[in-house]
Amino acid sequence: MIEQYLVAALSSSAVTAVAALTLHKLRSARTIARHHAETGTQVEAFEHDAARQRESIERAEQERQALETLNLDLREELAQQSDLLAETRVTLKAAVDDKDQWAYQAKKIADEAARLKSLAATFERWHEQMISLMTQNQDMHEKNQELSSIVRHVVIVSLNASIEAARAGSAGRGFAVVASEVRALATRSEELSKSYRDSLHKNDLTTTTTFQDIQAGGKMITASLGSVEALANQFQSKLH
Amino acid sequence: MISTQAKDSIERIFYKAAQSRLPREAGDSCEIVTIPQDALDAAPEARVVVLTISSILFRLLLILQFKDDAGTRDYFVKDVADNSFQEIFSEVANLCCGAMNQELLNYFPDLGMSTPYLLSARCVSHLQQLNPGFLASYKLTLNHAAQVTATVCVCAHAPIDFVADLSAVEESSGELELF
Amino acid sequence: MSKILVVDDSSTVRDEVAGFLRKNGLDVDTAVDGRDGLAKLKASPGTKLVISDVNMPNMDGLTMVEKIRGELANSAVNIIMLTTESSPAMKERGKAAGVKGWIVKPFKGEAVLETFKKLAS
Repeated sequence: MIEQYLVAALSSSAVTAVAALTLHKLRSARTIARHHAETGTQVEAFEHDAARQRESIERAEQERQALETLNLDLREELAQQSDLLAETRVTLKAAVDDKDQWAYQAKKIADEAARLKSLAATFERWHEQMISLMTQNQDMHEKNQELSSIVRHVVIVSLNASIEAARAGSAGRGFAVVASEVRALATRSEELSKSYRDSLHKNDLTTTTTFQDIQAGGKMITASLGSVEALANQFQSKLH
Repeated sequence: MISTQAKDSIERIFYKAAQSRLPREAGDSCEIVTIPQDALDAAPEARVVVLTISSILFRLLLILQFKDDAGTRDYFVKDVADNSFQEIFSEVANLCCGAMNQELLNYFPDLGMSTPYLLSARCVSHLQQLNPGFLASYKLTLNHAAQVTATVCVCAHAPIDFVADLSAVEESSGELELF
Repeated sequence: MSKILVVDDSSTVRDEVAGFLRKNGLDVDTAVDGRDGLAKLKASPGTKLVISDVNMPNMDGLTMVEKIRGELANSAVNIIMLTTESSPAMKERGKAAGVKGWIVKPFKGEAVLETFKKLAS
């Protein structure tokens, strides 16, 4: 274009050429200004975009950081839950072991109660001893009775002796003394025999009531053990 | 150690047991009168039937004496069979004590009862040596014919207090409960 | 005729129960306590029904039942207890031992005759 103007300037007056050059410069300036303006606008736009992009990048960065934090939190929570799960597993195993232990103990209680019930056999064994004691007591009663009757007989004999002694007069006086002493002895024996009979009755009562208490007590214990055994068995079956 | 209401309860339980188990037929009368201890007949040949109920807290003795006369014998013995009167009386005493046992089970969880034993009637006067907390004697007349003397003796190992509620209708005995 | 065994330490009861059953055409044997009952049952394995008291000297009724089912290994014979005992604990023990039924004394023959006949056949 300048060549044209140069040609124009060469071919025409220098003023025209200068004017044309000035006009050109003006146009160029305007164009440049316009370009400037355009560029400026474009630059502004770019800068605006860049700013927006920077903002986006910043936001993205923030989000990334937030996600990373979240990730860390989640990892930590997962770790905690894993620990908790491990603990729960341990507790569950312990509970299962305990339950097995309890079932085992319950069975032991039931077995022991059953075994103790066989103690009832011991009480029955004492029954034979008891019968033997009562028989011996009965024996003593009979012997005492016999003694009593002998003593009564002695009293009669001594009375007769006293009568005979009296008949014999002074010759029988010594004999009379002996007879009366024998009678005194016999009377004492009779008292003793009565007292002995009383003792035998007391003894009978004590022996019988004691044995009955043992017999009945044994049944009471067996009944209690039966309840324990039943409860232990119920508990055991509940644990399975 | 035995409270007044417990003593009263024991007596009422005895009354109920005697009235339901001593009469031979359902409709027969059974009159009961309290008698003092020294009124007990102790003829040398007389025998008594003794039974014991044992619990952790106490033991109860029931002593029955059946009068040795025709009226009493005829009342209790159905057929004049081989049975000695003593065996029949022992069984009657067993039933009476069993009824007391059943009632007492409502108030004391674990009880045991002995089998009956025969003793000389002279032993009864020595019951005091057992140190009883309750001791009472009664004269029972059945159907205006038979005479029975009863003594109830309770020895307590610990304080006893309970009130017997005898209003419940007795569950009929003699029925077969199939398992 | 099938065999029944009545076990009780009281001769009164033995006579009453066995007598009643015999009057009704049944074949009955008796024993005086648990030990005797066990021996008699061992000697007559064909016994179909045992009627037994609980409170007896030498060996009580429930111990006898436990031994019948245990040592004698007899699970076939029907066993009914006839006793003054009525506690639930006792009945439970009876049930666990293999007792079929429970009657609280006094014995009322008419009420149970048919059932006894069935159990003894």
